[in-house]
Amino acid sequence: MIEIRNVSKWYGNFKVLDNINEVIQRNQVVVICGPSGSGKSTLCKCLNGLEDFQQGDIIIDGVSLKDPNTNLYKLRQKIGMVFQKFELYPHMTALENITLAPIKVKKMSRQEAEKKAMTLLERVGIPDQAHKYPGNLSGGQQQRVAIARALAMEPEIMLFDEPTSALDPEMIKEVLDVMIDLAKSGMTMVVVTHEMGFAKEVADEIIFMDQGRIVERATDKTFFSNPKTERAREFLNKILI
Amino acid sequence: MAIFDYKVILDNLPFLMRGLITTFQLALIGISGGLALGILVGMARLSSRPYIYYPATLFVNFLRSIPLILVIFWFYFLVPIIAGRPLGDFLSASVAFIVFEASYFAEIIRAGIQSIPKGQMQAALSTGLDYKQTMRYIIIPQALRNMIPSLLTQSVIIFQDTSLAYVIGLKEFLRSASVVDAREVRSLELYTFVGIVYFIFCFTMSYFTKKWEAKKGMAR
Repeated sequence: MIEIRNVSKWYGNFKVLDNINEVIQRNQVVVICGPSGSGKSTLCKCLNGLEDFQQGDIIIDGVSLKDPNTNLYKLRQKIGMVFQKFELYPHMTALENITLAPIKVKKMSRQEAEKKAMTLLERVGIPDQAHKYPGNLSGGQQQRVAIARALAMEPEIMLFDEPTSALDPEMIKEVLDVMIDLAKSGMTMVVVTHEMGFAKEVADEIIFMDQGRIVERATDKTFFSNPKTERAREFLNKILI
Repeated sequence: MAIFDYKVILDNLPFLMRGLITTFQLALIGISGGLALGILVGMARLSSRPYIYYPATLFVNFLRSIPLILVIFWFYFLVPIIAGRPLGDFLSASVAFIVFEASYFAEIIRAGIQSIPKGQMQAALSTGLDYKQTMRYIIIPQALRNMIPSLLTQSVIIFQDTSLAYVIGLKEFLRSASVVDAREVRSLELYTFVGIVYFIFCFTMSYFTKKWEAKKGMAR
């Protein structure tokens, strides 16, 4: 489904991504963790072409991001993304946030798009907030609207870039619950997060990154109790107090 | 003969009002045309393509570096050459104002667009919207909202600037007053009247701009 081949990226002289290789299968949930500045968010944004990279290639469902004939706009329709700071459109209601892309990109009728949006809002547990503006919603509610917005395009892959980092502690659970639900429904997910509880419950693979490199990858729970590398051990000690 | 004889104003009111209407028309054309062109130029200034960015940047920097009165003169002589026939003072003044004000509007637009967080663009693109749709539905509506105080301020300036069109003989408000003055020799009354009218309009506009800003500040 997603194949990352020898991807390297520089900001000027600073190497943010250093020869990343990774294969993510359909229906898999991959969690990326690591200290800040390790390149995990950058890698996440490279997957749907929001960030460019200088070397290597990423193949999504057989389509190369580096191929000049690839239509990135079209490719992004099947890759949903959820951001750290929600990034809802502040001048639109929750419902309008969700229906915009289906109406404008998929040419869905407003009626149909709104019906679908309501179903999604029910799925994330806030149908009663449909007509509110993002400014009048709590952080947790905003992030759930953002998830619904991404799902409205019926993506095959969902990217989460630190979806709970900007939330108050008591709101983290409501967002994670939606994500766990999504993972269990078989969505292919790439999740940048420090929520180890989430990782333990649904991750098929955990990738630990540091200084632009994948330092460790684990497909079982041993990563949490007994990481192989010293760097990962240090990191886990810090976040799991 | 009274020291301040307002009768001269009443007697010539229809003529003066025609001048005021011309002023309003010119201001409106300058504002709407300048804004439309300014949005395009402002967006071009943000382009990563050099063949779009450099001409737009040159346009803005050039026009912002020369006095408006020169631009008015210039177009008065240039437009007939391009069009092949004289187009009259109003049309050439309109073109001059649209082009000149577009350079100022462009900078307001550019700054306004840059004030929208990068994440908004990324979020919209991530849902499959293309660049044009993202600009149209997400970035520009938000940017315009932030820009309204600056746009209103610039519009007040344009309203005042239209008086410069008197140099090419356009009978706008100020020119109308000077025409009456040439006949009646009542400079004090006429120019005071003109000043008061300009003041009322501009002050009212500025007042509402400030109110808008205060309201927006509170909403944050």
